[in-house]
Amino acid sequence: MTARDGTDDLFERTFSSLKDGTRDGEGAELYERVGATLEVTESEDGVEVLESRERGFALRLFRAGRVAFAADGPAGAHNLAERGRLLLPRARARRGVRPPPRLPGEQVDRTGAPAPGPLQEGKARELLALFRSTLMASGEGAVALREATVSLGERSERLATTAGRDATWTSRAATLLATVVGRSAARRFSTRVVAVASRADELPMARLARHAVDRVLLPLSGQPLAPGKADLLLDSHVASHLVGRLAPLFFGEEEEALLLARTRRGRDPFASPCLSLVDDAAAPGGPIRTTRDGEGTPQNRTLAVDRGVPAGRLTDLSSAARREMASSGNAQRRAWSEPPTIGVTNFFVDPSPGVSPLDLLADVQRGYYAAVLLERPEVDLAANTFRLNTAGYWIEKGRAAGRVSEAAVHGRLSDLLRGVAAIGDDLKFVAGAGGGVGSPTLYVPRWKYDS
Amino acid sequence: LSAAEREMAEDAEDAVRIVSGMLRRGEGGEAFRERRRATSWSAGEAGLLLPSTVEERGTAVRVRRGGESLLVARPGDGPEALREAVREASRRAGGSPFFKRRPTSRWQAPPPSVSEEEAWTAALAAALARAIPDPRGLSLSLVVSRVAVTRAVITSRDLVLCGTSTRLEATGLIGREKARRTFSFQASGPWPAAVSALETALREATRPAPSLRPESGETDVILSPSAAAVFFHEAVGHPLEAERAERASVLARVPRAAVAPAGLHVVDEPARADLPGRYVHDDEGMSGLRVPLVEDGRVVGLLTDRRTAGADSNGHGRCSDYRRPPRPRLSNLVVSLGQASFEELLGLCGNGLHVREVSGGSADPESGRFVLMVESADTIRRGRLGAAVSRFALSGDILAALNGLEADRGDSAPPATGLGICLKGGEGLAVGGAAPAVVVRGLAVRAVGA
Repeated sequence: MTARDGTDDLFERTFSSLKDGTRDGEGAELYERVGATLEVTESEDGVEVLESRERGFALRLFRAGRVAFAADGPAGAHNLAERGRLLLPRARARRGVRPPPRLPGEQVDRTGAPAPGPLQEGKARELLALFRSTLMASGEGAVALREATVSLGERSERLATTAGRDATWTSRAATLLATVVGRSAARRFSTRVVAVASRADELPMARLARHAVDRVLLPLSGQPLAPGKADLLLDSHVASHLVGRLAPLFFGEEEEALLLARTRRGRDPFASPCLSLVDDAAAPGGPIRTTRDGEGTPQNRTLAVDRGVPAGRLTDLSSAARREMASSGNAQRRAWSEPPTIGVTNFFVDPSPGVSPLDLLADVQRGYYAAVLLERPEVDLAANTFRLNTAGYWIEKGRAAGRVSEAAVHGRLSDLLRGVAAIGDDLKFVAGAGGGVGSPTLYVPRWKYDS
Repeated sequence: LSAAEREMAEDAEDAVRIVSGMLRRGEGGEAFRERRRATSWSAGEAGLLLPSTVEERGTAVRVRRGGESLLVARPGDGPEALREAVREASRRAGGSPFFKRRPTSRWQAPPPSVSEEEAWTAALAAALARAIPDPRGLSLSLVVSRVAVTRAVITSRDLVLCGTSTRLEATGLIGREKARRTFSFQASGPWPAAVSALETALREATRPAPSLRPESGETDVILSPSAAAVFFHEAVGHPLEAERAERASVLARVPRAAVAPAGLHVVDEPARADLPGRYVHDDEGMSGLRVPLVEDGRVVGLLTDRRTAGADSNGHGRCSDYRRPPRPRLSNLVVSLGQASFEELLGLCGNGLHVREVSGGSADPESGRFVLMVESADTIRRGRLGAAVSRFALSGDILAALNGLEADRGDSAPPATGLGICLKGGEGLAVGGAAPAVVVRGLAVRAVGA
């Protein structure tokens, strides 16, 4: 037993009894998560502080392609095997389902999941003050902050399997959630700001505040965009949400059929040669920074689309086994009480072939710069359609010529992706698709706006 | 009492003493215990796949003083978790409570028996097979869960058991050829009836999607009872969840104003046993009162919690789980019946759309905009039902839509199955609704993807 920093040997004891009780042909995986969250909320009602600790255990029991899942807190950890065995006969067998094995050369780490230390309430309050002051200064009296929350989290995870994997890893997260309201003489418009970073210091509070001001004031001023054809610049924040909605195309077997249909079984490109899509848990600026996925697999950089052509898949162990390849390390556990599913870490458009956004702007003779999203984007991967309700600026000869209060950018998704003629180098991430999604500014010439 | 409730109340006397000792002069607060047991199945077109069972227990201590509040949450729902949470809450307030060590209970609520779980699984598998007799061309990715939640609130005077609520939930995606749709279902009540309702909803949701697109623009609609329940939830329920004056919603800003036709009554009823939002006491230990929100077309009420109304709370302080603070939230929204038959409503509508099923909705109470995502609808031409149309978004302004309601309404209001988990600020809660079919004039239609 090598428990440390306030944790006990419950994991060790549970796993040993699991190993001892494993029947022929049966495999098991035990997962533990120990986490702490501190949340400070400031609103017109006052200040609210939330401090919570969690600890949970999850078991996956495998037998002949079947898998059952059971989870409980520390009080019920000893019952997990029994509960898993009750469920196992009712599962359906699937190819590739097995406990995570120890990889060649992989170190065994039995240090145990350390309990997170105290989280800094002062840091959270400092970030809130910065957000509020920047928002008020940029909003010039037309913007109010209804509520803002900064949440700091830290967690340790441990996973051991009867197939030899034993790993421990830790991660952190910082989140901003805010409700901002813009007011004009006749109307109000409110929006919710969501931002995630791997550390509190990496939350760009000033930039987020200025962007929030744009999001609530742009729809209250200017004119709706007139129908016609014009160049389109999608701001990195807007494009990031769209990129996030593409992620499921690279997950499972069902979506693969869609991807094949979109590219006529690979005969057509998926996107313009400017676009490469990458998933990388270590991407600089990405809100997710972890070393292992929810099955304990070390995480890699995966190229999903290489210069417009589909090149890779995001997989967990079982989907990778069905493809006879190695897992890309994309099994995600949203909570200890949920089984792992395939998801993204930091999924983004590679900005390396990009140019400065100002250069992109200079090339626009007559066009629309979609600066903010007014509603959640609608993307139907099956029907190959999308719709972005945006606000922004009308551009003439490389300069802003007026405010646009509302413009629906919509049409065929494949037309947009293949129509991207250039990208910026200003990669930014937003929270989305269960992780971080990012894009630089995208330039699409001659896009048609009809309403 | 259920086994979980008995266990939660075992240390009642001690727990009440600990909570009353924690609170200082001028402070309000309580402790909260929760146990959640879920048995889930991931379901595909071929049947049930991955079974899972999850049990989660937690304790939270909440302290309020003036405009400041503190919540400390710990895993476990026994005496130790309560002491640990109180210790941390007191430490943050500058105190250092000393607790006498008392023997703790080792009694465990038994897990569901094998035969009970077998029966649930068998009933679900059979319902799925009946709902989808031919899975060709269909892709299904659903999570179906039986969720039982037990809650208790410990105040400085008493331990209040909020009861155990059990419900069947199903959420996920259904695909057929080039069309994908979200599926959301929830039912409370006896298991066989809930499973049967799921079967009906799935059969409806897996029918081939029509290719005819509705015309975009303003139109009149008949909302089916299920769709009307979602409409009133978004247009009346959320805007009348109490927030402070500055945050007032479009309805809260106009108390006593006539916003809907005379004769329309909308009431929030936590005690309705046949609806999924049922509870006796809210998550702050207050009795869940029946609150009229709209009476004779006028705005008359607000849903309050202890933060917004203090001791006058009408019992609507609800939290998504023990880690989150309670907020004023609606439970079961019930709309008064009319006397019109469906045929009469068709005639009243004239030309427009008949909305059968809404898979989700959202509203911004501040600006008054709302959107409903319609999954199943038919055209209405000259008072007769026409062809089915593909998915579309139905949107409008809350005040204009309530003003556009016809006084004639349907003569029955069955429990709505389309109201799943209500998400507000990322926090999900079980809610219910019962409304008759209604006619609403002048809502905006936009075909999805158009």
